[in-house]
Amino acid sequence: MTKPLPQGITLGQLNAAIAEIEKVVGKDYVYLDDVKELRSYRDPYNTTNDADFAPSAAVAPQNVEQIQKILAIVNTYKIPIWTISTGKNFAYGGPAPRKPGYVVLDLKLMNRILEVNEKHGYAIVEPGVSYYDLYNYIQEKGLKLWIDCAAPAWGGIVGNTSEHGAGYTPYGDHLLMQCGMQVVLADGTVVETGMDTTPNSKTGGLYKYGQGAAIDGLFTQSNFGVITRMGIWLMPEPPGYTPFMITLENEQDLETVTDLTLPLRINQVIHNAPMTVDLLWESAMSVSRNQYYTGKGPMPDSHRKKMAKDLDLGIWNYYGAVYGPGPMMKNNMDVIRDTFGSIPGAKFHYDDTRKGDPGWDYRVKLMKGTPNMTEFSLLNWIGGGGHINFSPISAADGKSAMRQYEMIRKRSHEFGFDYIGEFLIGWRDQHHIFMLMFNRMSAEEKKRAHDLFAILVDDAAALGYGEYRTHLSFMDQIAGTFSWNDNSLWDAHHAIKDELDPNGILSPGKQGIWPKNLRGNS
Amino acid sequence: MLTRRTFIKSALASNVALLATPSHALQLALDNNQDKPLLVFADERALNAKEFIAQVNDQKENLDLDIGQHFDVLTKFCKESPHGHIAGLTRDSDFFVLEQLAKDHGFYVNYSATHSYDGQTLTHEITAPKEPANLIATALKNAADQWPNWLAKNMHSLPQSHQAMITTKRQLTVPNTQQHNFLVSWSLSASKNS
Repeated sequence: MTKPLPQGITLGQLNAAIAEIEKVVGKDYVYLDDVKELRSYRDPYNTTNDADFAPSAAVAPQNVEQIQKILAIVNTYKIPIWTISTGKNFAYGGPAPRKPGYVVLDLKLMNRILEVNEKHGYAIVEPGVSYYDLYNYIQEKGLKLWIDCAAPAWGGIVGNTSEHGAGYTPYGDHLLMQCGMQVVLADGTVVETGMDTTPNSKTGGLYKYGQGAAIDGLFTQSNFGVITRMGIWLMPEPPGYTPFMITLENEQDLETVTDLTLPLRINQVIHNAPMTVDLLWESAMSVSRNQYYTGKGPMPDSHRKKMAKDLDLGIWNYYGAVYGPGPMMKNNMDVIRDTFGSIPGAKFHYDDTRKGDPGWDYRVKLMKGTPNMTEFSLLNWIGGGGHINFSPISAADGKSAMRQYEMIRKRSHEFGFDYIGEFLIGWRDQHHIFMLMFNRMSAEEKKRAHDLFAILVDDAAALGYGEYRTHLSFMDQIAGTFSWNDNSLWDAHHAIKDELDPNGILSPGKQGIWPKNLRGNS
Repeated sequence: MLTRRTFIKSALASNVALLATPSHALQLALDNNQDKPLLVFADERALNAKEFIAQVNDQKENLDLDIGQHFDVLTKFCKESPHGHIAGLTRDSDFFVLEQLAKDHGFYVNYSATHSYDGQTLTHEITAPKEPANLIATALKNAADQWPNWLAKNMHSLPQSHQAMITTKRQLTVPNTQQHNFLVSWSLSASKNS
């Protein structure tokens, strides 16, 4: 197998740099074998070819000092590195780099939980700490704190937060709950943000902003530095928790339920980000497609309805929760029942009747921050299921939700795919996650999925919708849709990039931000 | 003159030999791993995987929907048995997750095969080093609807060397395909073993 190389770098240069890096971290922590070791640094869910995202090597430093030395080496050789924390954001590329030949900087060994403060409700963690790690630590210590995990929860807190990931408890907006970070810049300079900039600081995990510009956001979904530590707020364990589910019978109910949700969400009657989940997403937890339909193309409505009846599910399935003392939860649940009970056919479900149902159990865990991996079950909807997520943002209003749903469903059906999706209402916005699932062993199906995704980006942009996060393959296209004022946002990004990383070594192309030496080729 | 290896290849290609001494034959042709600790995963909800796991005598884990509940078992095994190997007959997603987790302990894939049903056709698609890939493909085909049993009996003999892999496919006609799910069989071992 030919070793993939970064653009403009020879094998001799790569080998020379690797030899120096091995002296820094030790040979055991430099991964070069393309057959075994580097297989797991690829994206098995890509819609093009493995080779498009194949790294030349991976290196796992154990501390900041080693990162500084690695950066000095790759600056000398001008070799691009691609930083990952745990590399588990599959559907968006996982650990794979944007272009072939990059060296993956894998921070998995920097996995210390530096502090958990029960009184003030925060944790300070390194990038290799997964949601499971933090949850287990809290359980072992008996601390009365909850985490807010991604689904699935094997990912890292730093990685998910810096990718603008979301969770399912009231602390679900992860970047909003981030407080302070340590970053290594391309030249090796270590920067603290927020209050930890002061000597002997005691408030780094408490107050986000410090003095001067709040620059934490600059290091998220970007390539301006390597985050090596982060503070994250944790929710005190509430005295009570009431999850609920509402099954809805009709497609048009999406509009109604979304409009009814916003005032309850914005006024904190519903405490977490409620989810409106389509039938197939919900069903795929427990059944596979061929149990109900073995034909080609999207599953017909008649089969969908039978499946809904068999599994006691709605065409839409709405999940939410309230938290707190009993009387407060009762008060909120009364309002919630009155509000959504007005939808014809709406049926409420609770733990006493739904427990044991795979979809319910998984959501109940997520909404209380209990890590699990159940969401991966969805991929068995079709055999050999791969997926990439199309994730446009809209206002939290019914007409926007229906417009996006109808647009994406129509397109996905045109291309022969099922619509599998969910909507999450944040503080004022709505995340729409369309899970574009394809047979990853079929080159034809991958190509079709790729073409569909590219069209969806343009369709959404034409309607005024941009995506909050995306797969490696579509970073440039989506960056192109954030184009107001002659791409002035990207001019700003690139000005910062050129100043902080003149050799263009840090994750070139991340989210469409390219260093000047590669900008013309992107 | 018929060499031992040629004899074994011929034997594997025939149903008679397969049913007579399948484990012994493949074990001779591949690696002798009988003494290595083995951890086996299977999807308890899939009919073929149930048949498979029932015949495994090694340490075994029945998987349900949340593969995360089995992380501790895999991690403990990797730490306590750094020269052991891990195998399974599971859903594709479970294999994917366990592979990712195991690589952080130095365990990598040596063999994987998808087993898919479409109409009356069963397709085995095997990815492994060239010689064992072809041997296993033929053996699985010859085993017909008893392929989960064949796998169970030969778990210890699946490839454990880390070499360049090929993918090869075998198809056969079988009845009653509706009751079967898409499954993946697989084997991981520590790279220091190779």
